[in-house]
Amino acid sequence: MNRLETAPVEQTKRRTAPSRGAWFRLRLFRTLGLLPNFVLLIVLLLGWQFASKVWIPSIDPHMAVLMPAPSTIAVTAAGMIVSGELFYHLMASLKREAVAFLFAASAIPLGIAMGWWRPIYNQVNPIMEILRPIPPLAWIPLSILWFGIGDEQNEFIIFLGIFFPILVNTIVGVKNIDPILIRAARSLGAPERKLLVRIVFVGALPQIITGVRIGLGVGWMALVAAELVGASSGLGFIINDARSMLRTDTIIVGMLAIGIVGLLIDTTILMMGRRLLPWSLALRK
Amino acid sequence: MGRLAVNGVSKIYGERDAPDSVVALHDVTFEVPDNHFCSILGHSGCGKTTLLNIAAGFERATTGAVMVDGASIDLPGWRNTMIFQDYALFPWMSVFENIVFGLEMKGVSRQEREDVTRHYVGLVGLEAFEAKFPHQLSGGMRQRVAIARALAVQPHLLLMDEPFAALDAQNRSFMQDELVRIWQREPKTVLLVTHSIDEAIKLSDCIAVMTSRPGRVKEFVTVDLPRPRDEDDASYIELKRRLRDLIRDDFVSR
Repeated sequence: MNRLETAPVEQTKRRTAPSRGAWFRLRLFRTLGLLPNFVLLIVLLLGWQFASKVWIPSIDPHMAVLMPAPSTIAVTAAGMIVSGELFYHLMASLKREAVAFLFAASAIPLGIAMGWWRPIYNQVNPIMEILRPIPPLAWIPLSILWFGIGDEQNEFIIFLGIFFPILVNTIVGVKNIDPILIRAARSLGAPERKLLVRIVFVGALPQIITGVRIGLGVGWMALVAAELVGASSGLGFIINDARSMLRTDTIIVGMLAIGIVGLLIDTTILMMGRRLLPWSLALRK
Repeated sequence: MGRLAVNGVSKIYGERDAPDSVVALHDVTFEVPDNHFCSILGHSGCGKTTLLNIAAGFERATTGAVMVDGASIDLPGWRNTMIFQDYALFPWMSVFENIVFGLEMKGVSRQEREDVTRHYVGLVGLEAFEAKFPHQLSGGMRQRVAIARALAVQPHLLLMDEPFAALDAQNRSFMQDELVRIWQREPKTVLLVTHSIDEAIKLSDCIAVMTSRPGRVKEFVTVDLPRPRDEDDASYIELKRRLRDLIRDDFVSR
């Protein structure tokens, strides 16, 4: 019915010639669509290279050190990779993230208990709601006094970053399980304990994995901040240490490493989730 | 195994004499002999699902009891398992795992539960789909899995809550025939809730016609037409007319 009504309108549209502006816009978008990917990135990199090597030095040679050229950064990165320096600090950071994650995984059983038993939720949730909005970074001063400067202090800050996203998502995951599935399991004779493991935990897993992804992301950010303040290794340490020596190239290499590794962690968790939970529609999107 | 007795079941939501209390069921009493197929027929809101939920152990009767072989039901479990309208298959389990789940819960040995599961996969004709997940199946196939899953635990009483309501007309009719075929091969005491007169006649040995406000059994009709039932048969049509009048009275009086 709709098609019949709109058909004549389309015809009249086709007969009138498009205005000049519309024609130009159309051509522009078509041309943009034909461009291969990463063209903009390459153009920006070339512009940056030009600015760092030619333009900024021509204004003030001393300022050039503030913005090293991509080529300089690439050489520095290669040097740091070959010497093993980058790998050493990366491993230090990853180890802290991993240790913190092991502790923060306690949010999964806690979240299941809170999502499943109302009284536990009512008791624990107010405490969590007060603690949750405090940024991990606000814990740094207190944590330095508690743990001193070192791995434990760093791991504590990262733990705080990872814990709450996992907790919140686990609770949501448990509460969002279709109640008919709980009924079906009970009707097939599932006792409470097996119901929790086989239905509630597994049913909440896609949401839990989402929580782990967010948590590891927040933790990764908290990690760098923690290392800036109190560490003698790690990616956060590299960039802070390089600052004191005015090695802007090293700073940017460290920043890029933080970004790339953060992305890799996220992608890995997502891929693992899709592999392990092929039934989950939530993870596929 | 599986003589069902519904003894004076009432269900009142809210305080008994409070003005806002709702009487969902009022003194419902009927009996279904072992291995008979009984339907509860009525409009939505007549309390038929409440009665089914009480029989499944999901809800408690305010007074009276649903008994199977003389023991009253008060908890859900495999003895009185239920098939749901929306299938309620576990999306993270394959067809095979869904069916084997109840047997694991029941504590059946590994070898036996694999044999039993294979048997029921075959009975509902899903041999080629054992390893598929529910989201890869059509609605009719999902309901077959649900039927196989419920039968596999060998319930004494099988409950069905409008099991074919989510299917299209052709599929529904086909699945009704399938259910009769399966039930004739493995007889069970069945209590099925439906609002479709044809579905009730096609499947049942007896039909409890329910009326609403308060929900009670208006008439308990025994069907003794030979199976498979012919919709054009004179006695089928006569029965259909009778049931329609019983239900329409209720509609008019509302």
